[in-house]
Amino acid sequence: MNSRTEKRQRNLFIASFILPTLLFFGVFTIYPVVQGLYYSFFDWSGMSNKKTFIGFDNFKDMFHDPIVWRAIGNDYFLVAGKVIGIMAIATFFAVALTRFGFKMTGFFRSIFFIPNVISVVVIGVLWNFIYNPQIGFLNAFLSLFTKEQVTITWLGFTDHTIWMLLPPAVWAGIGFYMILLIAAIQSIPASYYEAACIEGAGQWRQFRSVTVPLVWEQIKVSVLNIMMTTLNGSFVIVWIMTEGGPDNSTQVMGSYLYQMAFRQFHFGYGASIGFIILILSLATTILLQRLMRHEAVEMS
Amino acid sequence: MMKTGINNPILKTLFYALLIIWGISVLYPLLWTLLDALKDNGQFFLHSPWALPNLPLIWENFSYVWDKYNFGAYFVNSLIVTAGSTVLGLILAATTAYVLARYKFRGSGGLYLLYISSMMIPFVLALIPLFFLMNSMQLINTKIGLIMVYASSILAFGIFVLVGFFKSLPKELEEAAITDGASHYGTFFRVMLPLSQPGLITVAIVNILNIWNEYIVGTVLVNDPKQYTIPVEIGVMQAEMQYRTEWGPLFAGLFISIVPVLIIYIFFQRRIASGITAGAIK
Repeated sequence: MNSRTEKRQRNLFIASFILPTLLFFGVFTIYPVVQGLYYSFFDWSGMSNKKTFIGFDNFKDMFHDPIVWRAIGNDYFLVAGKVIGIMAIATFFAVALTRFGFKMTGFFRSIFFIPNVISVVVIGVLWNFIYNPQIGFLNAFLSLFTKEQVTITWLGFTDHTIWMLLPPAVWAGIGFYMILLIAAIQSIPASYYEAACIEGAGQWRQFRSVTVPLVWEQIKVSVLNIMMTTLNGSFVIVWIMTEGGPDNSTQVMGSYLYQMAFRQFHFGYGASIGFIILILSLATTILLQRLMRHEAVEMS
Repeated sequence: MMKTGINNPILKTLFYALLIIWGISVLYPLLWTLLDALKDNGQFFLHSPWALPNLPLIWENFSYVWDKYNFGAYFVNSLIVTAGSTVLGLILAATTAYVLARYKFRGSGGLYLLYISSMMIPFVLALIPLFFLMNSMQLINTKIGLIMVYASSILAFGIFVLVGFFKSLPKELEEAAITDGASHYGTFFRVMLPLSQPGLITVAIVNILNIWNEYIVGTVLVNDPKQYTIPVEIGVMQAEMQYRTEWGPLFAGLFISIVPVLIIYIFFQRRIASGITAGAIK
């Protein structure tokens, strides 16, 4: 075979393996994302083909829309709450299941991961039932200690209802990050801990001086991942549990986008909310990466 | 012998207790979903949700959601959509991943970066245009439409994991195949693809879970009740519970949706844990 046809065959092969995927990805992912950015400069009800170019007006409107500010506040509340809650609990369990010499660690590990394979919809419905004012778990439990039936509408406060959405989000997230951290801790050479022991370091000291610096990279990845998945996806559980209510008090940017576009048919405005989500997500990534850059220790 | 672990008995008991409490908090809702699926409506208003269901158990709740709420049909829809998009996504991801892992050509680095960086883009951004795109292609309310979108949404993760997997396979195997006169295609289909089975299975399982559980894209692209997937129906069903109270059937529906993923998890838990976490380390 001469090298010319060989080269042609190679190129044909590459093209036939690259192009269908790229075409598919282009049509169903890249094109919609770019379109989304483009739509945000239009006033568009979605009903007709009539889109009116309005420049940055959607963004100006957002600036004066109190719900947008509330939604951004709620988003970052959830980010902060989930980062703290998930990282504290997941780190504790990861250390407990690797460094404490406990039994049945494999069992706990498999069990703890279960919420991560269950649909967010199912988790939302289950927690809705826990909070249900008439027949819910929480009120029934509290009623054990009171004379009268407790009938608190947990998801009905005009303020602070967003707090109620934190427990399901943390509960559902622990297992994943625990597994991530367990893998990291297990890759630390045993000699590091032995050396620390010889110098008389207790569990707490070992955790601070060996574990944390050596799994810092994974801690960083976890925090970034929690932040990104929260800004990009936490609206599903919000939508299932409260639909952003009562009175928009639990709205996050994603749920507000959904409501504006698919309930109120302000598709241009919805798209511009999506634009802001992208910017917030990228900006926060950069910021967090700066903040957590130090302290990383290379394992040699 | 090095002393390891926790020696203080109080701390040890405390930490064990925490592990057990968390274990219960995870397992109990599953058990509770099953138990509540066997209750009739009256039992929900007795203010003791932890009570065991009264006898006789209302197994009819299951046949009721299966027939009256059409869970039977939705189960089939979910199966078709999940299987179709996983297979399609896997073929598209594996071919590109193989070429990116093994062939150098102009733009290969950029292409890889394009797929990987797309994992950083909030998918919600694409939701609105996707709706209109599918509408103009007449793919709203079709399983084909959902399959296309889901297949595309799993490409980045699939390519990321499979490029790593193909790179870890020894090069000698391909070289041997090529000296034996195998074509590029022959090498891929007869040598590399069978060898990459563990990687393919990991990617497939993770995708199956994600697509089976997916809610928001399904809700946006499907509004014809005949084409609902199970998560979409659960969302609709819980909204309806404000007007009619059929709690037993609702829990039966939840249970039906959980069982398949639990079975998959029990069989493939190592792969699932390593596969899902692989996507986070970019």
